[in-house]
Amino acid sequence: MSAQSQTHSAGHAGHDAASAEKRSWLFTRPTAKTGLISWLTTVDHKKIGLLYAMSALFFFLVGGFEALLIRLQLAVPNNTLISHQLYNELFTMHATTMIFLAVMPLSAAFFNYMMPLQIGARDVAFPRLNGFAFWVFLVGAIILNIGWFVKSGAPDAGWFGYAPLTSTAYSNQFTKDMSTDLWIMGLQILGVSSVVGSLNFIVTIINMRAPGMTMMRLPVFTWMTLITAFLIILSFPAITIALVELMMDRSFGTSFFDVSNGGLPILWQHLFWIFGHPEVYILILPAMGVVSEILPTFARKPLFGYPIVVFSGATIGFLGFGVWSHHMFTTGMGTVATAAFSLLTMAIAVPTGVKMFNWIGTLWGGTLRMTTPMMFALGFMWMFMMGGFSGVMHSAAPADAQQQDSYFVVAHFHYVLIGGSVFALLGGIQYWFPLVFGRKVSESWGKTSFWVIFAGFNITFFPMHFLGLNGMPRRTAVYDGNMGWNEANFIATIGALILGVGIAIYFGVMVYTYFKGEKTSRDEWGARTLEWTVSTTPPPEHNFDVIPTVHARDAFWYEKTHAGEIAKEKASNALAEESHGGIHMPSQSWFPIVAALGILIGALFFVNHIMLGAIAGGAIMFLGVYLWAAEGPGGYHIHLDSKKINKH
Amino acid sequence: MTLKSIYKLLKRRALPCLAVAVIPLFTGGWFNWLSGHQSTFDTHGPVARSQLDVFYATCWVTGITFLIVASFMAYAMVKFRARKTDDLQALTPDPGHGNPLIELSLIGLSVLALVFIAVPTLKAIWYTYDVPAEEKANAYEVNAIGLQWWFRFEYPKEQIDGAGPLTTANELVIPAGRPVRVNLRTSDVIHSFWVPKLAGKVDMMPNRGNHLWLQADNPGYFWGQCAEFCGESHAVMRFRVIALAEADFAAWVAHQKKPARSLTAESNSVAAPETPYVYTNPGRNAPGYTAAFEANPFAGWLSQQEIAKGENPASIAAGRELFKQKGCVTCHSVRGNEGMGVTGPDLTHVGARSTIAAGLLENTPQNLHHWITKPNELKPGNKMFVGVPTSGGSVMAGYVAIDRETGETVGHNIVVNDDEARALVAYLHSLK
Repeated sequence: MSAQSQTHSAGHAGHDAASAEKRSWLFTRPTAKTGLISWLTTVDHKKIGLLYAMSALFFFLVGGFEALLIRLQLAVPNNTLISHQLYNELFTMHATTMIFLAVMPLSAAFFNYMMPLQIGARDVAFPRLNGFAFWVFLVGAIILNIGWFVKSGAPDAGWFGYAPLTSTAYSNQFTKDMSTDLWIMGLQILGVSSVVGSLNFIVTIINMRAPGMTMMRLPVFTWMTLITAFLIILSFPAITIALVELMMDRSFGTSFFDVSNGGLPILWQHLFWIFGHPEVYILILPAMGVVSEILPTFARKPLFGYPIVVFSGATIGFLGFGVWSHHMFTTGMGTVATAAFSLLTMAIAVPTGVKMFNWIGTLWGGTLRMTTPMMFALGFMWMFMMGGFSGVMHSAAPADAQQQDSYFVVAHFHYVLIGGSVFALLGGIQYWFPLVFGRKVSESWGKTSFWVIFAGFNITFFPMHFLGLNGMPRRTAVYDGNMGWNEANFIATIGALILGVGIAIYFGVMVYTYFKGEKTSRDEWGARTLEWTVSTTPPPEHNFDVIPTVHARDAFWYEKTHAGEIAKEKASNALAEESHGGIHMPSQSWFPIVAALGILIGALFFVNHIMLGAIAGGAIMFLGVYLWAAEGPGGYHIHLDSKKINKH
Repeated sequence: MTLKSIYKLLKRRALPCLAVAVIPLFTGGWFNWLSGHQSTFDTHGPVARSQLDVFYATCWVTGITFLIVASFMAYAMVKFRARKTDDLQALTPDPGHGNPLIELSLIGLSVLALVFIAVPTLKAIWYTYDVPAEEKANAYEVNAIGLQWWFRFEYPKEQIDGAGPLTTANELVIPAGRPVRVNLRTSDVIHSFWVPKLAGKVDMMPNRGNHLWLQADNPGYFWGQCAEFCGESHAVMRFRVIALAEADFAAWVAHQKKPARSLTAESNSVAAPETPYVYTNPGRNAPGYTAAFEANPFAGWLSQQEIAKGENPASIAAGRELFKQKGCVTCHSVRGNEGMGVTGPDLTHVGARSTIAAGLLENTPQNLHHWITKPNELKPGNKMFVGVPTSGGSVMAGYVAIDRETGETVGHNIVVNDDEARALVAYLHSLK
């Protein structure tokens, strides 16, 4: 019997029974298991994971569409397809969308869905808080994108929002222009969501591991979840401070960044990048985790050098806080600071290289099965390695003086973000699709989508290295025809269209597979980690019929080779759990979404400078939070033997 | 042909296909794509050269590392591929968990490789930061100030009685073969000063006294561009650097310090006035350069210094009058003639510049005409068009009056018709 389910059943059962009769309608917990209400009130980490995934994939397509418009504009010199203003909005929103609304929530989707399964838990530590994190994320996404539908237009000051361009003096085209306010508010709200979600993941991983799941037996994906969560809670306060200061400057006349009143625009850059660089690792570490799951499974070999992979991930996370000023090599920091950040940035290449060596070590001597997820994982290794090398080039500050803010940088970070993060996440979707939906993408279609994406990606971004070294600056809506940039830009645009086709194939095939795809067995890939030990695919609401006991790092492989002993252990654990009241499950709740709705209302009023409305929105949020506390934790038990849900 | 058969065909031919796609990318890349006007490979000064050397050091280290790691990876992918794909579940996992000795030696090697980058990096950081001590006395000093969306250049050593330092715009003329220290300032948001062939960029930060140094080996004409996103028209905030031999530079400075040329309607014209050019709006997507200028930009700049043949004194005088009437004088100054404004570029010798609108267009009559009549088409949001908000909350008038509340255009302060534009072009081009 695990310590965690003991406290649950013993602690909550009595409380539930005592308060059952006195509940008013306000505190009646929703119980719908299907339909709209079940999704709006869900506390199930798997449903929340799916909500994250759906929203992330939607915004991934939105951001991709913005990118295609950008590439079409740049296809030929002096193009007039879109205006300077719209172009600025597009690149601002492309970056903001891809970082905050596509890659981060897609990682969060995997964290939510897979992490509790990987550690043998029935849910996260705070299920309602988990729902709240998602709804707040959605609110932030709406606030960021609502500019497309109002006169102000979308935010246009760049995703980095360098002061003083974000001040009212320079960013407001007219008095009530709220595009920058939307950006500030949207990012603050997304920060709340990320921090809340991360705290939840940290508590879950530390406290809710199944018996025997020591920290050094955690699957690497869960380790990367933990490290990413720490990066988020440590780095988001920096940008939140910067955003609040900027909000004060814009709305209440303070002078944090206002030069004419002694403000310091450079302060913004330090605060932004002290967040912004760890953010880079927030985007890539989950991807590294996914790859570290896929490679051993399809190489039929445990991960090579597991402890070193884990510690190098932690080292990357740690060093990631000491290199922020390499984004600022051209701001005139002086020689010593430049040298220090230059050397630290080079140092971060070592743990990153270590991961690469260990992945190759994992392949070495294995039996590689070239399935679609494996193709994406291998594609990740190649592309991330190239992005890593151009990253090393940036670390040499004098060379970076030429590369900074040029297309060379654009090439570099798309290699690590698309070739890295996105490849790994797309691979992760294919890898876990059989677990989540019980179906899998056909190998030929999966590989077709991979190769088209792979080709389109390289044709788009490889020429950009040359563009940057040939002096083309970023964030420019037009260029003249005599600069030697015409061919490379045209090829990049063709590549972007191919990449778009590849993504379209990928999504088309995914949707087809969801409805009509080949049905899979419970353990389709011969996997090694606990998420694949669930009794059915998709996994049942309570995840595990019996909380697993972990005996080895590759827990499922151990179970498969020790079937008899594991079956005996499970039978006795099941009895013990039933004698403690059955499987304890969290109750659904309306209040996370109510609180999030309050934030939406408040934020919309605030960006329009209607403070009374903003206060009203805040009041709704507080009411939601208060009622959330007042309704109590709830909870019910599932009894598997009778297959009946017994409400307390 | 079914999709499966196409896929099989592609699979067989994957490597040749890939080679066909990638090889031109590299070769074509190296031979044709790195020789542009802002190429960081075609260096013309010690600072850019030092930065390129560091880049080559990183290329060698990463290139060799890539070859080694990629061969291992490619070998592993080919060698250890599963032969029998139908019996996957039956495969027993290999129990290997790693080898600390291999790990540690690889970490050691990585650190060693980075030392080869770190040493030249550190040297170059100090070298490129400021003019070397032994050359400090010889260095020439200029101020570069970024504004939305153009550059002002000041020569602090060239003071003009009653007018402060010599001030030009968008074309920085420097002495060749001599270190130049550029003090970088901004009057609004962050800009970045970048002339790739001479030196890497340094930002112009508000409330911060940045600088860079550069040196052109020989006389020449160099392209530069603002490299930090600075608002709506960032893409068209460009400039040029022209390096002149020491004597030519001295002559240029002496001429620039003189007040503007002044022609009256009665002036004797050397030749018969040329017939006025035909103007049709070339549109937003017209190139900003001509083939003739491209062929030899430096010669083009030199010829721009000479007074055009066939000037029309009557037209020039009319243009000068319009320059006052239309209110151009509020923001621009033509030293010696009318105009004391400091908000816009100094136009005292604008006719001798090879470009207009911050390096966007070659300084031809048609282009100047376009710029004067439709500035917003070329540089959306520019101050000449939308006006300049002053500290008092009012707006120094631009071409249009804009309602601050809604952003709507509510009136036109300045309208320049074709005939007026021709006269203004004649006047401005006379200011050599």
